[in-house]
Amino acid sequence: MRRLYHRLWGEMSVISRRQYWGLIFVLPAVLFFVVFFLYPLVTGFALSLTDFTLLRPPVWVGLDNYLDLLKDRLFLKSINVTLGYVFGSTVPTWILSLLAALLFYQKFPGREGLKLLFFSPLLPSVAVVSVIWVVLLHPSGILTHIIGPFFGKAEITWLHDLQLSPIVIVVARVWSVIPFYMLIWLAGLTAIPQEMRDAARVDGANRLQSFLSVELPLLRPTAVFVMAVSTIAAFQGFTLQFVIAPNKGGPVDVNTTLGIVIWKYGFQFFRMGDAAAVSVVLFAFIMIITGMQLRLGRSDHYSLN
Amino acid sequence: MKFRLLFVFLLFAGLLTTVTQAQDDQVTVTLWMHNHTPRVAVDEELIAEFMEENPNIIVEYEVVNDFFTALSTALASGAGPDVFNQFTLFNAQFYAQGLLAPVDPVAMGYQTIEDVYAHYGEGVVGETVLAGDTFNGILYGVPTELSNYACYANDDLWAEAGLDPATDFPTTWEGLTDVAKQLTVRGDGGTLVQRGFDFNWYGNIYMMLHFDPMVQQLGHSMIDEATYTAHINTPQVARVMQYWNDLVNVHELGGPQYTRSRDAFIAGELATECTFGNWGTPGMEESGINYSIHNIPRFADAVNDIGFATFAYYLQVNADAPREVQEAGWKLIAHLTSQPGRYLNEAALFQPVAEYLATDEFANNEIMPVFLDELYRGAYHPRFAGFAEVGDALGRARDRVILGGEDMETVLQETEDEVNDILERALADIEAAGSG
Repeated sequence: MRRLYHRLWGEMSVISRRQYWGLIFVLPAVLFFVVFFLYPLVTGFALSLTDFTLLRPPVWVGLDNYLDLLKDRLFLKSINVTLGYVFGSTVPTWILSLLAALLFYQKFPGREGLKLLFFSPLLPSVAVVSVIWVVLLHPSGILTHIIGPFFGKAEITWLHDLQLSPIVIVVARVWSVIPFYMLIWLAGLTAIPQEMRDAARVDGANRLQSFLSVELPLLRPTAVFVMAVSTIAAFQGFTLQFVIAPNKGGPVDVNTTLGIVIWKYGFQFFRMGDAAAVSVVLFAFIMIITGMQLRLGRSDHYSLN
Repeated sequence: MKFRLLFVFLLFAGLLTTVTQAQDDQVTVTLWMHNHTPRVAVDEELIAEFMEENPNIIVEYEVVNDFFTALSTALASGAGPDVFNQFTLFNAQFYAQGLLAPVDPVAMGYQTIEDVYAHYGEGVVGETVLAGDTFNGILYGVPTELSNYACYANDDLWAEAGLDPATDFPTTWEGLTDVAKQLTVRGDGGTLVQRGFDFNWYGNIYMMLHFDPMVQQLGHSMIDEATYTAHINTPQVARVMQYWNDLVNVHELGGPQYTRSRDAFIAGELATECTFGNWGTPGMEESGINYSIHNIPRFADAVNDIGFATFAYYLQVNADAPREVQEAGWKLIAHLTSQPGRYLNEAALFQPVAEYLATDEFANNEIMPVFLDELYRGAYHPRFAGFAEVGDALGRARDRVILGGEDMETVLQETEDEVNDILERALADIEAAGSG
């Protein structure tokens, strides 16, 4: 046996030996992907073709769940809510996190301490952040004390006002994720060789021109990453809406994202087949939007590689 | 020598057979209960006692958080417990899916099912008490706790407003609004520092447990469990909705934006709260609140003399469990419901066993009289599959009117249509599952 092993091993070329070891090393990752991503994905899709009440075995219904979604009031509303949340929470995040990164890219006294402070919202879990926001957003709480006088109000119903509530959720989201994306931008800025900025200055460019013509184009791969990751995360919006919004996604469903609909259908209404169908639609949304972003970001120009 | 060897061999073989047989007879019962901390210690003691009395039965007891979701998921994956307790608002769903095994009176130590009913009261009393888990005339469980609501007054806050709950507590909703105004304390700019009275806005279950009973006081109900139909766009529902709306938008006495009513009462920020059961008293005593208990108000022109809805947690057996496990499960349930005094005194949970209700110990209980009075007048909430979805629709209707300021008639009609669709689908599911 041992001889056979050595013979086979000896006959393998150096390249195929490398491939062999390569396969061994990636196998755990592949297995992890198959068990925790591919299998649930396929199972989820299969479930979406069934009527599954969670309490009894699924019954095959074909595409009925998808057809029902077309006239499902809560699902249709949740698409609007989700798109509003995605747009509202991503665009400001991109801009503000980039501005923060530009600020922290500069050298100034106390920069590291301030950076640490700025990074702190990222340390607690989203659930903890949500609870903190619930306290801050009491009708006569600290935020009302600060902002209320400007509008002549002693009480502000932050979370129960149908117009204000989605904005508050977006603000909480933006506040909690800016530090993370700031770090990504900062890494992108650091990767740009200083010589390129110096060359632009020698050519007479001011700070703004240098940023717009040199740094921003070179940040394109970073921008694509930030846009894709933040958009995917926003589409999956759930925790803030679950914890902060009244009655989990309320009031009157103004914070009911697709994630909340999946939870409600699956684990509250015993409509697991419908929940799976919504999951598949959400997956499709994310794939399409991310694909578009990656395509827009694809370019041979301006790359450092 | 040969005989001696043979004797030892036979003895060993006999011993082995006995041990194997004993292992074969051993039954393991998994029991899941929702988390109510004061109850757990009593459960554990009674289970230990049960296992000592029944050495062939092993009970694996688990207290589960996020009970409804965890139980549903476990049952879906085939890993559900053999015995579990469940809230009456969800029992119909479990029954509809064929998950519940009918009560086995013999395994519980009774002769017939009538004896089980009689254990909770003779004739109609027993039937009324156990109606929370009776479907199509078949009983599927017995209560670990029967509950309803009464109003708690914070006597100190009432005294500060110059009121005495013993004499001034209103008997009507109209009167409660007037009293709530006197009890309300406002700060700068009219902010609510202390509320006189507020509803429990948290969770849609209250649309069934206290909104619908107010509608019932006026002679109507939003859901007809017999026909699986909803009647929501009615004058009675509109009247109750108007009362809730006026409390928030006209009198500005409270609303969903403020601290949850139970938390606020415990914190001494709410003078009157009407969604605590008898189980609320330990928390109040721990917080040092000086309280008194009163009947739920009625509308001045109420046609039904009822308070809020009765609800319960029932111990039930999984219909998919093997026969011998089901029998052991019912035996365990009989044991867990055999000491109502301990549960009431140590965990503030009421098990309505007729024999216990006749004892001096129960007669001397100072908390229960108001609750018992309301129990005898009231009834269970409507029991139907699809409650979670219906509750969601009803809660949304309430918020559309009260927070969104939408036209009430439009909202009620749209909600009626939506709820009828949900009930129609639930009924179809029941028929498909063969439980109808």
